Amino acid sequence: MALADEYTERHEKVLVPLALSLEEHIRDLLSGVERVDRIGARAKSVPRFLAKAEKLDEGKPKYADPLHQIQDQIGARIICFYLDDVDLISQHVSQYFKVVEERRVLPENDSEFGYFGKHYVKFIPTDIINPKWEERLIPQFFELQIKTLFQHAWSEADHDLGYKPGLVELTSDQKRRVAFTAAQAWGADRLFNELFRERAPANR
Amino acid sequence: MAITHIHTFLVYPRNIGDSQSGGTTVPLEGKLFGLLQEVYERSEIECDIDIAFNPSGDGVQQNAVRDLVLNYLADPNLDSGLAIASALKAVTTNRSKVGMLFLIAGKENNDHKVVVSRFPADSGILAEEAERGLNVEFLERVFMKSEHSYKAATFRGPSLAAGFWHGRAIDRQMSSPLVPASDYWVKGFLSSDFKTTSAQGTRRLGEALRKVSQTNADQGIRREIIAAATLASNMVAEDISIDEFARRFNLTDPATNAIRSQLRNPETARERFRFAPDEFSRQIAFRSVELESGAVLTAQAGDFDRVFQQEALGDGRVRFSTTGVPVGEKLRKAS
Repeated sequence: MALADEYTERHEKVLVPLALSLEEHIRDLLSGVERVDRIGARAKSVPRFLAKAEKLDEGKPKYADPLHQIQDQIGARIICFYLDDVDLISQHVSQYFKVVEERRVLPENDSEFGYFGKHYVKFIPTDIINPKWEERLIPQFFELQIKTLFQHAWSEADHDLGYKPGLVELTSDQKRRVAFTAAQAWGADRLFNELFRERAPANR
Repeated sequence: MAITHIHTFLVYPRNIGDSQSGGTTVPLEGKLFGLLQEVYERSEIECDIDIAFNPSGDGVQQNAVRDLVLNYLADPNLDSGLAIASALKAVTTNRSKVGMLFLIAGKENNDHKVVVSRFPADSGILAEEAERGLNVEFLERVFMKSEHSYKAATFRGPSLAAGFWHGRAIDRQMSSPLVPASDYWVKGFLSSDFKTTSAQGTRRLGEALRKVSQTNADQGIRREIIAAATLASNMVAEDISIDEFARRFNLTDPATNAIRSQLRNPETARERFRFAPDEFSRQIAFRSVELESGAVLTAQAGDFDRVFQQEALGDGRVRFSTTGVPVGEKLRKAS
């Protein structure tokens, strides 16, 4: 069976309902946790999966076995208010999922501004797996991103302007302006977090 | 035939000998093969603990033992097997003694499969009937699939590029309540842990018990569940599954089924985890008894029977009594 057909079958039969169950599951785990702006989970669309599967790395296909190697077929996001919340929510959620990868995504260079976020690859819990699903269609993992509102807003706009398929590459000046907005988002996060810390004792 | 390769190694404790000695290839025929074929075929039933490899300490998606297993599966030979035997030797202490390691690789349709199995050493007696009686001989080092300390793990999957992050294990020593839990096999050698985290498994158990106590129509089942939950409030961190919990507290079949019916996936009832007392008390914080007289009595779940003395008065009526200093009084809206 061709990769497109295999993924389409997986997407329709398992990934779409699984993403809904995962979102509900995470909502349940975070009920009562403060300053969570939104929780979402999605199944990677067929075109996006195929585009990723065709990616090259030094001229060779990046993925020899995309159905198993691409681990964000289900992606979940938790968006919270402040930088301190990212760590608090990460600790809370991590208790309930076995993890295989945990990383803080930062720009490569300390003097650069760009994407910031906390990413995990976690096992999909058995609780949300329908026993009637065929095993070959069920991914093992999902990707979880935990970000602040500013980190999320910046990455959405950045993706829309620069990374959608078919877009002309950003010019040097446009890249610099995008980096400037990343720096502003970074600064806003820092200031809001400082204000949050200063105000917390008074508001207890 | 599913099995493609079998290799075996004699693995001594780490303080005996400098390095792991070479092993041998087991022919895919004969009596030993027959025994190992049974080990291979039964592994998915016998290995009933879901485990997952731990990522490296800095959160990178890499595990040294998983790498060894993948190398062996990609090219099963004495060298790739020796690397696994060496990893086992590195964590084997005198307490675990010498053991025979078997690596059994195979293909099941599109899946690669490997069984890693350790037979511990024991002493035994060989008895053979002769024409004029019985010949007996003491055997100093016999390797047996022991009921009390046999260990194995099985990993199966279609992708050597990205799979094999989880598998199943058996550790007889770990399963026995009579022997202290051993971290040697799963945590030490396999560098793994339960696939179900402590908080995840305990929350699942607590939620199921709470829902049965709130919604089951059968008063007898509700009583059983509340009694078990009350006793469980005093449990320490120990390895258990929901099925084992039901057996531990001698729950009846209807009560066990009531718990299972509250699980989103009944398969989770057999998943083992380390019980987390803190998470359990978050899930089952309070126990309430409502009387037909209109009284509602509430106390922390683990303390309820100590706080309220109960006296049966006949006709189903019960007198609850308690003594204490009032420290608060509240009105609550209807939920």
